[in-house]
Amino acid sequence: MIERRDLLKLGAAAPLALGFPAALLARTAGVAMWVRDTRFGMTGAGLMPAANEHLVDGDVTGLWTGSLDAAWRKRGFVVAGVTGSDALFVLEHLAWSRGRRVTQRQEIAPAQGALPALVQWTIEPTHPSMKA
Amino acid sequence: MAILPPDVSAANFAKALDAFRAVLGADWVFSSAEDLGPYRDSFSPVWDTQQERLASAALAPANVEQVQAIVRIAGQYRIPLFPISTGKNFGYGGPSPNVTGSIVLDLKRLNQVLELEEARAFALVEPGVSYFDLYRAIEEKGLKLMIDCPDPGWGSPIGNALERGIGYTMAAFRDHFGASCGMEVVLPNGELMRTGMGALPGSKSWQEYKYGFGPDPSGLFAQGNFGIVTKMGFRLYPRPEHYRTGLITVPKRRDYVKLVEICNYLNDAMLCGEIVYASPLAALMSKPDFAALAKKPGGPSDAEMDAAASAAGLPSWQVDLQFFGPEATTAANWAYAKDRILSAIPGAKAIDGDAFALPATPKQMENATQPYRTSIRRHGALGVPSLGIWKIVRDDGHLGFFPILPRSGEAVFEMQRVMCDALREFDTLPSYFNATTAPLHWHSFAFQMVFAPPVRRSDLAHNAMVDRAMKKAVEVAAKHGWGDYRAAPIYQDAVADTYSFGNHALRRFHEQLKDAVDPDGIIAPGRGGIWPKRFRK
Repeated sequence: MIERRDLLKLGAAAPLALGFPAALLARTAGVAMWVRDTRFGMTGAGLMPAANEHLVDGDVTGLWTGSLDAAWRKRGFVVAGVTGSDALFVLEHLAWSRGRRVTQRQEIAPAQGALPALVQWTIEPTHPSMKA
Repeated sequence: MAILPPDVSAANFAKALDAFRAVLGADWVFSSAEDLGPYRDSFSPVWDTQQERLASAALAPANVEQVQAIVRIAGQYRIPLFPISTGKNFGYGGPSPNVTGSIVLDLKRLNQVLELEEARAFALVEPGVSYFDLYRAIEEKGLKLMIDCPDPGWGSPIGNALERGIGYTMAAFRDHFGASCGMEVVLPNGELMRTGMGALPGSKSWQEYKYGFGPDPSGLFAQGNFGIVTKMGFRLYPRPEHYRTGLITVPKRRDYVKLVEICNYLNDAMLCGEIVYASPLAALMSKPDFAALAKKPGGPSDAEMDAAASAAGLPSWQVDLQFFGPEATTAANWAYAKDRILSAIPGAKAIDGDAFALPATPKQMENATQPYRTSIRRHGALGVPSLGIWKIVRDDGHLGFFPILPRSGEAVFEMQRVMCDALREFDTLPSYFNATTAPLHWHSFAFQMVFAPPVRRSDLAHNAMVDRAMKKAVEVAAKHGWGDYRAAPIYQDAVADTYSFGNHALRRFHEQLKDAVDPDGIIAPGRGGIWPKRFRK
């Protein structure tokens, strides 16, 4: 698991310190759920509204079956998160099938060892049948 | 510049899109570059090159009548359609068509589980239904049925079956096309056809007897391009009461031959579920000396491999066995398997694994309590859809060459040796074939091995090397009688070309059929290596 000190070594401290939290928090309006990838340790912890936070370990099965599958059959429901690129790959393809797109993405840290790149993203409904 | 269908002018393409909009509504006709992004192959080794196969538009009909109308309009304008179910066929082309300029027919809105029958153990579904959807429908109704799903579970039972996809439970259900029973198809002229008992008006046994009377054409729609499947039935596994696992190891390399013989019996006699082979020696591949031995030109000798195993204190092979059924039956079948193998192979050892009642608890699904290192992913083994497999995907995905080989230890040794030597020049790729490589028993009655080289969009030289490796793998395997069972559009012609008995009699037969029912190539020209006359060079 990457801890904050590992991200510092990776050079990811700058975005964390200079703007990543602010940028994330700037997009809180209308976000129905936050997703955080626990493989990356402290990253993002405390930055997301806890009540709407969903934790994943790279596997988004529970997120899909427990929340998004139902939520994304209806209009609206913006989701934002900080996850590995592998988790985002899956979520992006699921989003496409439900009239949604990744409308914002920013790599926070590159892939290292067994861990994929860490990415901050937002998924919003874009198809007329899904827009709020 | 916008992509046009082959031999269609921009003006006629615009007219066709207007006609599609009149049928579907403008919101379900996609033609902008942004809208078509989801219809590219995310795993393409030719991403952003001239070779990438791109759609000109995509359509998402809401019902069968709209599918029929689309086919008729496409026929009028001679525009190829490329039907997809959920479009998640990654590693085999995803949602991208064989012919650039085709219109993708996205069937995701046909997403109803039409029938679920516990007492007769079947489902009838539409193509946009995913394995998750089918699983949820069974759970919501509280039915004692088990599905057999692939990794991952976001695909469509229809799409996967039509690709001859596989799963991980009992042999009767792992072959997803084999477990299908009855289909409804929109033909290239827009007519609607039902196969088997579905052709008999008033029949109530469409999902119980797949043949009806006369020739059964359903096989033509798997990896084929003779119609668009809009409904399909599937036999389901009555949920077993109990699940039991066990591990058997054998000490010597040559023991694998007898082990496979006995396990074939266990599989074919329906005594166990998917059999999962592995070599514990694969853990030594990080050691240069051992890796050199395992990849030795011409293959290592049995004695050399046995000496390496002995030095490492490891058995040469292991097999994970799984048993389904009443608790007493699973115990008896495991006892029988142990007795058969341990009495036949000196030095074989058995370890009892997890055993529990079904359905499994969330904790049991984690598969964290086995007293041995297991290769089994429990979600798949128990027919519970998952997306966890994507955690192992790196780079920009991978390709897939899965050659079919006979179920014998000798055949495994031969493929290890031949393919290792053939792919030696591509030494920057992972070692998919070496003396520790085990076959997969995903198919009901055949082995396959895996060549799944990674793709990197930003590294064209790497992708070009992977492309050469794929083509060489297909060619060399075919010379030894090993054929791929499934391929991405860019490799389908090469694979189809290897099935050449009788001067390509099979392909010529397919072409005759295609010319007869779809001379303009409206349905997925090139799919499965079958081209109508219009597209044949």
